[in-house]
Amino acid sequence: MLKGFGNFLVKELKELIRDPKILLGMIILPLIMFPVLGGIISYSRQSAQEKAEKAALLVLNNDGGNWSVLFINNLTFIMKVFVVNNTNPQEALAQDLLSRYNTTQFIEIPRGFSENVTAHRHNSSIKASVEFYGVFSGGGIFEGTSSSMIDNLVYRFNRDWAPDVVYTEKSAIIKGNIAEGVDPGALSGLMLLQGFAMPITIVILLTYSMQIAATSVAMEKEEKTLETLLTLPMDRLAILMGKLSSSILVAAVGALASMVGFDYYMSSFTATIPAGATIDLVSLGLVPSVFGYLLLGISLFVTLLSGLALAVIISAFAEDVKSAQSIVGYIYPLFYIPSFVLMYLDVNTLPFAVKILIYAIPYSHPIMVAKAVTMGDYSIAAIGIVYVAAFTLVLLYVASRLFATEKILTAKLKFKGLRKLGKTPTEALQ
Amino acid sequence: MTAAVEAVDVVKVFGNIRALDGLSFTVKPSEIFGLIGPNGAGKTTALRIVSTLLLPTSGTVKVFGLDVVHEAAEIRKVIAYLPEEAGAYRNLSGWEYLEFMAKFNTKDKNETREMAKEAAEITGLGERLKDKTKAYSKGMKRRLLVARALMNKPKLAILDEPTSGLDILHAYHVREIIKRYVKEHGVTMLLSSHNMLEVEHLCDRVALLNKGKIVAEGTPRELKEKFGSVNLEEVFAKVVGLA
Repeated sequence: MLKGFGNFLVKELKELIRDPKILLGMIILPLIMFPVLGGIISYSRQSAQEKAEKAALLVLNNDGGNWSVLFINNLTFIMKVFVVNNTNPQEALAQDLLSRYNTTQFIEIPRGFSENVTAHRHNSSIKASVEFYGVFSGGGIFEGTSSSMIDNLVYRFNRDWAPDVVYTEKSAIIKGNIAEGVDPGALSGLMLLQGFAMPITIVILLTYSMQIAATSVAMEKEEKTLETLLTLPMDRLAILMGKLSSSILVAAVGALASMVGFDYYMSSFTATIPAGATIDLVSLGLVPSVFGYLLLGISLFVTLLSGLALAVIISAFAEDVKSAQSIVGYIYPLFYIPSFVLMYLDVNTLPFAVKILIYAIPYSHPIMVAKAVTMGDYSIAAIGIVYVAAFTLVLLYVASRLFATEKILTAKLKFKGLRKLGKTPTEALQ
Repeated sequence: MTAAVEAVDVVKVFGNIRALDGLSFTVKPSEIFGLIGPNGAGKTTALRIVSTLLLPTSGTVKVFGLDVVHEAAEIRKVIAYLPEEAGAYRNLSGWEYLEFMAKFNTKDKNETREMAKEAAEITGLGERLKDKTKAYSKGMKRRLLVARALMNKPKLAILDEPTSGLDILHAYHVREIIKRYVKEHGVTMLLSSHNMLEVEHLCDRVALLNKGKIVAEGTPRELKEKFGSVNLEEVFAKVVGLA
């Protein structure tokens, strides 16, 4: 049965294992990438938990009764609490109390709280409520942590005094305004799901467009058409610009298609919110404006251009299409990792070093811009665009130098020690 | 008269490899000059330097008096280079490929068409020019590429192994085209080959290349007489000490 299979299999395995591209791309990268991702998420979860526990809570006590004092004591068990008497939520915001007490959340104990708790002892249908208000800053898997902690504290109070005596009503503070009845935790969950769109778009667009650009250059080398082109009476820069321009057109269509798809995604998301829920992203102002979409489109476009230029440069080091596609694969972690990280986490919750790294990688920016324009923070979007554009200009300069010299024919990535067999490019040139 | 190609003491180094080691030769206008030698002798490197793809590490190369280092753009206007095993764009038809290439030589639409028509005639591919080049056999593709190289009647055509891998009929066809263009249009041909018998019948003069150096140069008859050999293959074996 299957005569020669074993011998052939051994040969195949030898070829695959000895190929440094496969070794690096298929084995070493996943071995590094996933532990790194896991480590970042674990660290962020831990730091979010610690941050929530250390966070200060402002209490607007409009009740003044004994039960409210007991309730506040219960809160102080794990949180640092500041109490302000006789101030309603609107006044608290108007007086900028959150900044003054350096917090992003407050609880209002309404008038009649103690009276209701006392009444509950005689009539269990009477309940007391507190209102939790949390500032919504754009989402992230751990943004609901504070909201959950309040739930735990209320549960603890009820357990100690009477089951279900106090319940919590929650509202979010979005862009300085109170969105009544919108649970910041639920809103974070919704925004988290919505936030999957841009990282996935980036991964798909960059993967495809970089493969197209790399293949386009490598095909010229593989088919030896590049040599012919380089000896024609034309500007060498015209070859590079021709390659990039056609790829840019594809990228521009890709960016436009992404914007249309993104807009549809956002609308459909709002529409599919279950009946009875009061969260509506459009009415909450949590969808980008036209200007926001414009910035997002520009950010996506310059990022794609940057990816294409990088692919062109990298493919110049490949001898054929197969090698070009493998080599381009080495830079996928540059957008895979930020995409996965930013899919779940807010950049501000990351460890400092990781945060710097994410900002330094140009391919992270459209993802952050998507969140920034949703929150109306256009300055972050603009800075991101300028940074990526500058990076792209540097890449274009390097690419133009490559095409202007013999490097486009002689450049080659070397895997010293791993590559012992086969022709070197210089030997191939003779 | 200005030489078509004048290479003087050309050295080309790639890392630790000395591909050309003091190469010197001269090609006269309207002659067929052959660089012959085994694989790795430096033929392709020499042709790539003449065609402005590579820069010499030292030495000078001039094409019709133009320096390959400082006047490369001017040289590209008067040469045509056919790489060994070159390909055409797979998704263009043969005709589209010829038109695409013709447009680099002239902006006039009529001239472009005439140039492509002449090239089409050289190929002898007839109706098959309407097919995409990916459907072509190796021989058909080579004929298309030779036609491309000669379509604008360049002052110098640099052909790297022009008949490499072709069967007898296709190789004969390509050789006939080369001879015709020299005779009818005065095109100078600089070609390389490791097929010494073919070169013997095609070239006016040849240079034997070994390890990056010219080891013998002259007309095929002169070389055979000088070394008392019946063909160039034997000449080469004697020169490098194999016979």
